[in-house]
Amino acid sequence: MQFEWTEEQDAFRHKIRDFLIANLPDGWEKFSEHGPASPALTAFAREFCVKLADVGLLFPHWPREMGGEGLGPWEQQILAEEMWIAGEPRGGQYMNVNWVGPTLERYGTSEQKARYLEPITRGQSLWCQGFSEPDAGSDLASLRTRAELKDGNYVINGQKIWTSYAGLADTCFLLTRTSDDRKKGITIILVPMDTPGITVRQIPSLIGEGDIHEVFFDDVTVPESARFGEEGQAWEIIAYSLRNERLGIPRFTLARAALDRAVSMLREAGDFDREYVRIEAARCAALCEAAGTANYAVVQRRVDGLAIGAESSSARYATVMAERAVCEFVVEFLPEGLAGASPYLKMHHQRGIVAGVAAGSAEIQLNIIASEVLELPREPR
Amino acid sequence: MQLSLNEDQTQVLDFIDSLAKPYASVPMHDVSLALESAELDQALVENGFLDVMAVEELGPVTAALVIEKLARLPFAVESAASAMVRPLIDPELPRPICLVEEGRLRKPVRFLRPGATVVVVGPSGVRSFTATEDAIAPAQEDTLYAYPVAFLTGLPQAMTLHEVDAAEVTRAWRVAIAAEAAGLLGAALASTVTYVSERKQFGRPLATFQGMRHRLAEDQVLTNTAYWLALRAAGTGDPADAAMALLHAQEAAKRVCYDYHQFLGGMGMTLEHPLHLWTYRLKLLTAELGGRGAQGLAAADALWG
Repeated sequence: MQFEWTEEQDAFRHKIRDFLIANLPDGWEKFSEHGPASPALTAFAREFCVKLADVGLLFPHWPREMGGEGLGPWEQQILAEEMWIAGEPRGGQYMNVNWVGPTLERYGTSEQKARYLEPITRGQSLWCQGFSEPDAGSDLASLRTRAELKDGNYVINGQKIWTSYAGLADTCFLLTRTSDDRKKGITIILVPMDTPGITVRQIPSLIGEGDIHEVFFDDVTVPESARFGEEGQAWEIIAYSLRNERLGIPRFTLARAALDRAVSMLREAGDFDREYVRIEAARCAALCEAAGTANYAVVQRRVDGLAIGAESSSARYATVMAERAVCEFVVEFLPEGLAGASPYLKMHHQRGIVAGVAAGSAEIQLNIIASEVLELPREPR
Repeated sequence: MQLSLNEDQTQVLDFIDSLAKPYASVPMHDVSLALESAELDQALVENGFLDVMAVEELGPVTAALVIEKLARLPFAVESAASAMVRPLIDPELPRPICLVEEGRLRKPVRFLRPGATVVVVGPSGVRSFTATEDAIAPAQEDTLYAYPVAFLTGLPQAMTLHEVDAAEVTRAWRVAIAAEAAGLLGAALASTVTYVSERKQFGRPLATFQGMRHRLAEDQVLTNTAYWLALRAAGTGDPADAAMALLHAQEAAKRVCYDYHQFLGGMGMTLEHPLHLWTYRLKLLTAELGGRGAQGLAAADALWG
């Protein structure tokens, strides 16, 4: 076992940091207060991701046959960490390189790959996930948005909710129901967001401007070729992509960076000599590092070519614990941080409180850990 | 970064598994508050498992793995101080090794017995002496901790002063206890999972109730991360990592000891079930090195000055 980064990995991290210093504008920290899905950050990301692509940092972890540098999972992790600590200047495009691209490559038709991969590699596309519905959140398999095949087209009717990025996305990775066979009746359709019949309404939120939406589908018609995978294959495909997504955001790094920032502000104010503050700060740091090690253990499985199972849920829950602790620390000891005194702490808080909800709620992760890690007998249904 | 076990580490752990097989369960009808085995201890010494830290290709991470593995046994083994702290002081010190904080002599000392080496660590440096009968208070029969414990009557006038940095010894001590706690956490979780998966109430296993499943799942998260933080602290040798590893392990211990006895209900109050062998060791480890607050302050000092 080796818990230090190699020289090459350190050099890779420094390359990213140098790039960020050179390419993030003055006043970036204040600017990044805009949510990752805000119009301002989305527009910025369209320029920023082009620059990332120019220096081979947009998707360096993709295999060479996909146009990447063929770097490994550790480099993907390092890239994600540095971007997230910096306030995610890629906006919603982080999803493209983490899971949309690899999922397209694995399950897409040649037509879909040709259409969608190229804009991702140019840093010009934005996707949204049409997953949750008003009556299908954690119980995702009960979703009801229906897609009916008529004369070679799918006609889609229904509603999605809490959809990130929908306001500005080009394409929706949409879960639809094509039969009543619960999980086996769900089918993915790739829907251009400018298709007639789609209505997007922004939902005012705690987590930043432009972040979550309602999306309505009224007789939205797309060709059968927009179907992704086979009818009924959605559950298998999203299990694959969510495994990438759960590890995709290294939230523990931003939590740790926010904690360090809070400590430095407390010290400046002469408030960091109180023992109970120091102990609580250390407890938060330990939780951040704990989440980091759990996440790294999962990355190692990916490096070793092992299947990633419920360990990712355990790592993700560790991250939720760390995020919660740091958010609470800041509110308790630096309440002014969320009221204008620190754009960085506010930005962290807005992104941190999502940790236990996005990409499958924390309680669902606990269910997965109970059944698949601890192998407890299942609850009766 | 490379978090897989290497071939040497896998071999060491497999060998311990096979050597410790006769000690993997509680002897029939044994309702001891503490279990020890001189034969197991001797076998570990003879096979060099407590000396792996000095072996170049093994080192401190393997020592932590050995400590973690042995702590899972129902039999208490003095491995933490011997395998991870003794090599820094003097690899020839007679075992068991009893680590004591200077100025905190009133606390129960694990494995203290005549012939043990008592190491006193603190501002005066790192000093040791061999425990004689008159240095040990009359035997405590009414301890609840599942370790053999005794109390010192005081310190002798003459102690051996070791040329080693007390801060470095304290760092290794934290890592060693974090690794031991990680093993205890793992064994206590496994033991509880088995019980609640079999025990039926309201016509179904207790483990099918979500109130219990979620808490056990959270306990798994704490247990898993305690393991990784302990190994990382062993690997990096960093004082902040050591303090955070023990802080996290002590936090986890506090929570799971309550949970697991609660989940076992009446059975958790008995000595018929072995759960107490791990939880009542963990409880004593929550008091080690000043407890969570002291680890928190040490971590804060190391992280932020």
